[in-house]
Amino acid sequence: MTTLTQSRVTAAARAAAPARTATGRSARRRATARALLRRPGFLIALAFTGFVILSALVPAWFTSADPYATAPADKLLPPSAAHLFGTDELGRDLFSRVLHGGALTIQATALAIGIALVGGLGLGVLSGFVGGWVDALVMRAVDVLLAIPGLLLALAIVTAVGFGTVPVAVAVGVGIIPGFARTTRAEVLRVKTLPYVEAARTGGAPWGRVLLRHVLPNSWGPVAVLAVLDFGAAIIAVAALSFLGFGAEPPAAEWGTLISAGRNYLVTSPWLSLLPGLFVGLLVLALNHLARTVEEVGR
Amino acid sequence: MTLSRRFATLASATAVTALLAACSTAGATGTDPTEDAGDPVSGGTLDVAFFPDNAAFACVDPFQTYWIEHRTVIRNFADSLTDQDPETGELVPWLATDWQVSDDGLSYTFDLRDDVTFSDGTAFTADSVKLAFDSGAATLEQLPTAYGAVYLAGYDSTEVVDGDTVVVHFSTPNSAFLQGTSTTNLAILAASSYQATPEERCLGDVVGSGPFVLEDYSPGEKTVLTKREGYDWGSELREHSGEAYLDGITFTYVAEDSVRVGQLTSDAIDIAWPRNPISENDTALIQSSGDSVVSRSLPGPANTYYPNVADGKILADEQVRLALQKAIDRDSYASTIFGTEYPAVTSIYDTTTPSYQDHTDDLAYDADGAADLLDEAGWTLGDDGYRYKDGQKLTLSTPVIAQFSAGDQLIQDQLKAVGIDLELNVITQAQRSEVLAAGDYDLISTYYTRADPGVIQWIVDARYAGSQAQAVNALTADQTAEVQALLDRGTTTLDATARSEVYAELQDYYLEHALAFPTFERVQTAGVSAAVHGFRFTSESFGDFADTWITP
Amino acid sequence: MTAAVLAAPGVPRTRVLRWGPAGYIAGRVLQAAGVLWAAYTVTFVILWLLPSDPLALVLSANNVELDSLTPAQLAEAQARYGLDQPVLTQYWTMLTNALHGDLGTSTTKGVPVTQLIAERLPGTLQLSGLAILLALGGGVLVAWLAAYVRWSPLRLLLTRLPSAGVAFPSFWIGLLLIQVFAFGLGWLPSTGSAGPQALILPAVTMAIPTGAAFAQVLTRSLTDTLAEPYITTATATGLSRAAVIGRHALRNAALPTLTILGLLVGGTVTGAIVTETVFARQGVGTLAQESVLNQDVPVVQAVVVLAAAAFVLVNLLVDLLYPLLDPRIARSR
Repeated sequence: MTTLTQSRVTAAARAAAPARTATGRSARRRATARALLRRPGFLIALAFTGFVILSALVPAWFTSADPYATAPADKLLPPSAAHLFGTDELGRDLFSRVLHGGALTIQATALAIGIALVGGLGLGVLSGFVGGWVDALVMRAVDVLLAIPGLLLALAIVTAVGFGTVPVAVAVGVGIIPGFARTTRAEVLRVKTLPYVEAARTGGAPWGRVLLRHVLPNSWGPVAVLAVLDFGAAIIAVAALSFLGFGAEPPAAEWGTLISAGRNYLVTSPWLSLLPGLFVGLLVLALNHLARTVEEVGR
Repeated sequence: MTLSRRFATLASATAVTALLAACSTAGATGTDPTEDAGDPVSGGTLDVAFFPDNAAFACVDPFQTYWIEHRTVIRNFADSLTDQDPETGELVPWLATDWQVSDDGLSYTFDLRDDVTFSDGTAFTADSVKLAFDSGAATLEQLPTAYGAVYLAGYDSTEVVDGDTVVVHFSTPNSAFLQGTSTTNLAILAASSYQATPEERCLGDVVGSGPFVLEDYSPGEKTVLTKREGYDWGSELREHSGEAYLDGITFTYVAEDSVRVGQLTSDAIDIAWPRNPISENDTALIQSSGDSVVSRSLPGPANTYYPNVADGKILADEQVRLALQKAIDRDSYASTIFGTEYPAVTSIYDTTTPSYQDHTDDLAYDADGAADLLDEAGWTLGDDGYRYKDGQKLTLSTPVIAQFSAGDQLIQDQLKAVGIDLELNVITQAQRSEVLAAGDYDLISTYYTRADPGVIQWIVDARYAGSQAQAVNALTADQTAEVQALLDRGTTTLDATARSEVYAELQDYYLEHALAFPTFERVQTAGVSAAVHGFRFTSESFGDFADTWITP
Repeated sequence: MTAAVLAAPGVPRTRVLRWGPAGYIAGRVLQAAGVLWAAYTVTFVILWLLPSDPLALVLSANNVELDSLTPAQLAEAQARYGLDQPVLTQYWTMLTNALHGDLGTSTTKGVPVTQLIAERLPGTLQLSGLAILLALGGGVLVAWLAAYVRWSPLRLLLTRLPSAGVAFPSFWIGLLLIQVFAFGLGWLPSTGSAGPQALILPAVTMAIPTGAAFAQVLTRSLTDTLAEPYITTATATGLSRAAVIGRHALRNAALPTLTILGLLVGGTVTGAIVTETVFARQGVGTLAQESVLNQDVPVVQAVVVLAAAAFVLVNLLVDLLYPLLDPRIARSR
């Protein structure tokens, strides 16, 4: 999938984005928040993302159907009031399966982003802050990871670690680390040269304190935007791996598994594949929109 | 062969559903491609889209390959000594005109045709037969795992009596050998093929005497056959013995079911032939475009869960096994997974297997009966809807390959209704042997394709089985003794009727003790364009295209 | 400025000046070789962590499980597939052989890996080539339109269009395209490798996410460029808006996007895995997928190194060409 590539491209673009000044942070944040809330697209995207995350956490609030209860008599029903997304080949309620599958996908994605954040931030800060041969070494390692296509890397890792939600998350997370490491490094390098950070360093403040008080708080903005963008990319990557059959154990089904299972009925019961696919696409679109809007307004 | 019994079975099965009959067509509006449709017209190329090629073992060598799709290809470019009637299971002459079996079952004498040539121009003689079987044995020396081992079990040597007579000697009886001579696995190739290495043969260095010639095998992409000029030795089971009507056949490999069906309905291909049965909706789609769906059950052990009855395993308890047998709703399985017309499995064998017996009653769905048995066995319902005994949850684990798990998920839900927790452990094909060796399962699903009941030995008899661990775990020591005694009687009994009775006894034994849990009848289905006529299923449910022709 | 940081992260631009062009080129080539070697090693390590014995797979493919072999047969089979050596020896043998152009033999297909790849590569190259062309063309078009169009709803739509392109899974897009253009309208063949027409749908499927990613970067870069003073100057001299965007802004904005070209090329390899599967094409993508599933270590190894090599090579070219293309760097020399 080009999704991991996409996240890397985004990271590269982020690294190239013009620097911001760090003055008047809190005042600007309030202004940014006000500007954001005036945008209807942003609100819609926020509402949809909120709904998906909430429904993944507590699916029972939105559907009473058991996602695993088969009903052979009701198989392959088209969408209706009783079954919003119709039913699958075993008569299970697809809407309920999408929401319950969301829990797995969101967990896997969150874990992947967590891994990428911890690994990427750590490597990026280390590289940018320490500099010298450490920087060179870390960046070479990142180059190597970048050179191996994301899906191939993920496939190899999944096959090595095994199937299931956690291995998929690990594989995707590792694939995203390089992007985070680069973005963080670029930010750290920028912040490091800001006059007051220079002043603090030359003034003899311990490096840990400089890092925590000055460098990290000023670097995390672009990293956070990247995290939201990558959340979308990671959802597609997780979906791609579960599409290829590496996801959670049945009868649970991640989104990719649902799309994959439905594709054999594409001609006769297209909603089986199309609705979960649309759901995933809209969520990723919403996430991208959120990240992009925050970034634009923040500029 | 108990012909009368088989006929009776088929007849009753046909009454239940039209799809079950030996070779049926579910073509509501389309013309039946298996029926006579006027005078055959020569010419044209048949485009067939298969399930993807075997990615793990690309091989079109008759002796080595086990891939069902390749066996259809082989049937069309290589001939065998005998042919098996799909209706009766009876063997008829093909490259051999006649044969005798010695009383001890150790020697088979074949009289051969003298007018047959291979597509490289060399003649088919007694030496060809000797070379073919000796090469098979040599391949087994080199690759003990080659699939043909099953067919040549106990092979000793072949003796050339004269140009058109050979005697095949066995060191131990192998009563299924005669049926084996009709299979693609023991098809006879030209001498040049056996000069190649087994690997080269796999990748297409094979020359047969069939109605088509293997032109090109590009693994995973396509296989191309062209018509053999001058062919004139088809078996009597074909409509005609002469040259094929088609100029050639192109087999392509397509991953997506929906794509394959779309190709058929948009006339991009002539035959869509998936591995798993065409779904009910796709069948309707194919029929509504004027094409038809042909089907025939694959002979051999049905798709079945075999238990792990080793000490300490839950299924060591026969009560639980009997309960499990009752808790599976096979009618619902067939109609839900494959469609309302689809036959439910009715024995441990598919209906097209010689010696098959109808055991519908033993396999009936009875949730209450299952619950009673489990209560008696001490497994009581807990608050979560699952059963417990001495604090242990009634969890059965089965390894599944994700791609094929829809049916397993249905059974999972059926078993949940009686309080059994079926855990589906998703693995890769590669991990299967690890799981088996570790005994880390309660049920394992498998099947086998061969039109002979004795082939079940390769699943359940540890002396022959593909997996030792699986065979050992499938039976207790006492059961092993009884089953092996029965199977030995099967391989040494030459009289067809007596042999059938042995396997009837085996089926009784297996279902009485619930030592196998059949899940579905394995039906081969193919979507066939309305323009295609003269389609024939062989006794092994492979495609024979010698009689096939296309309306111009 | 930013472009220079991006072009070759970690390689200070000053080296161009200090060591001269020859030294710079040599340095970059060495670095590329190092990355390749590391990628090879990383793959080897990951693949050797695989839980299963490759031998078990080869055998179970023949319907025989490992446990039914005698120790002697087992040893013979191991020797047959070269699996009886210590891991380090295997690594060393494979690496030296690879340097001599011998990538080993597929454990499942029994054919030299180089032959397998040589058979599969042309199809994938055609597909990726067309996909990259479509992606670049489409990306430029969308970015140019987004800058040119003044009616803000349409402009917003055009800016957001690439987001949609990357938001939908490409396997899903591929199935949708088959559904509409092959089955519905009957314009194009659904699958197969026959004829140039069969190339269109898979190329479009692959181009959509790649082109969308490209358009995103280009749009961003274009927005920055359009704010530069010389654009205002150009507009003031009376050039048409289309000409200003097309001739001046786009040319300068395109420079930074050169640096993601390597990523896009690398991305088409992974894109090929799914696209070729959906469209039943035989290529390096399906080869990779089959081999990973079957744990065919030599083949996976070769495909990964191939993909990494494509990435490294494109990046190397971009780095070497960059100083010639960027007027600012060219002037400073």
